[in-house]
Amino acid sequence: MPKNITIYTTNTCAYCVMVKKWLTAKGFSYSEVNLDEFPERAKEAVEVSGQMAVPVTVVTKKDDSREVIVGYNLAMLAPAVN
Amino acid sequence: MTSQQKTTNQATCPPTLVKAEAMQSNAVKTHQPLFETQTQKMDESAAHDIVMIGAGPASLTAALYTTREDLETVIYEKGVIGGLIAICDKVDNYPGFPDGITGLELADNLRRQAERFGAKIELGEITNIERQDKLIKLSTTDGDQYAHTVLIATGSDYKKLGIPGEQTYYGRGVHYCATCDGPLYRDKKLVVVGGGNSAVQESLFLTRFAAHIDLIVRSTLRASEVLIHQLENNDKITVHLGVITDEITGKDGFANKVIGTEVSSGDKKEFDCDGVFVFIGLVPNTAFLKESKLELDEIGFIKTNELLETSIKGVFAAGDVRSGATMQIASAVGEGATAALHMREYLNESRL
Repeated sequence: MPKNITIYTTNTCAYCVMVKKWLTAKGFSYSEVNLDEFPERAKEAVEVSGQMAVPVTVVTKKDDSREVIVGYNLAMLAPAVN
Repeated sequence: MTSQQKTTNQATCPPTLVKAEAMQSNAVKTHQPLFETQTQKMDESAAHDIVMIGAGPASLTAALYTTREDLETVIYEKGVIGGLIAICDKVDNYPGFPDGITGLELADNLRRQAERFGAKIELGEITNIERQDKLIKLSTTDGDQYAHTVLIATGSDYKKLGIPGEQTYYGRGVHYCATCDGPLYRDKKLVVVGGGNSAVQESLFLTRFAAHIDLIVRSTLRASEVLIHQLENNDKITVHLGVITDEITGKDGFANKVIGTEVSSGDKKEFDCDGVFVFIGLVPNTAFLKESKLELDEIGFIKTNELLETSIKGVFAAGDVRSGATMQIASAVGEGATAALHMREYLNESRL
């Protein structure tokens, strides 16, 4: 179980909905940074991911190492949270 | 909801299908291994009644019909529930919504309506299908599954330009989802490539955020008159007709320019930008069928007969992925209903 999961999203992003839906279905809690509500934090999402795209999921593990997944990519998301 | 509306809605449901026991029997079966170790005999009773591949408008509609017939139905979706409509800004050409509806909301409505009658959506990927005796074997990322009948409704995806820089700057200035990534381009300069409904619709959506948009069209606009009229009245968009997009270049790891050629003069044109959104048409999502021997047309769409049956017995196809599809949500929904009725007939006959 990761220490923390943060997702950067936008209101109209269907892939963001899928990441949240998948995490909820698997029993993981997460915090969300909605970039439509907090556009000033878009820079933060770009810096952490290296991309101009959402969703950005930041998984902080127990040893404080981080894994960053851009998009709805179960092949990367599943191993990152387990 | 008013009491009048509630009464009316209840009256539209066949009484047998709103009974608690009917809903209960729609519950998805618990699946045990389908082959006995010693005899390798297939247990048909453990197979799904129906598996649908792709959770877009066609299959969500088909599932609504099949579950209401008490046929156990599982839909596999490897991407977004709703398919391409879920990433579409607004849908104005689907009847029943006089003010239009956002793609995300329409997708969610379709999902909820299918799930209401017992459709189960699995977030996973089908990697191959083949007929084995009376069943269809589906290879999934979580092991094999079997079904009596299958609907392929994997839809289509946005086509790539296939030019230098497109892959290099994917996600770093090159995008295919305006509703996802558009909000990251507040007060920025964008290029949109394409001349059809999607390109124009998404350009109009992007003007909510972008300072200016250059719309690059290879030949002429092929969008609906309504959209073209909106385009003409939007001073944030400049349309460049007859320009072929040749290359996307960048700086510091992010796209910053689109280079094209004007067809009439042969002159090079350059468009400085912070991001590029590409909407140049659709390609069928049929790559997973490569090993299946299922018959496709020359582009890769699935060939079907008038019953929406494919070349593999018991496997049907509907929606954008079908050869001859009109790529409209209303058509996909209609094909979903049609496929469901023929699948029901197929099941009835095959179980005789």
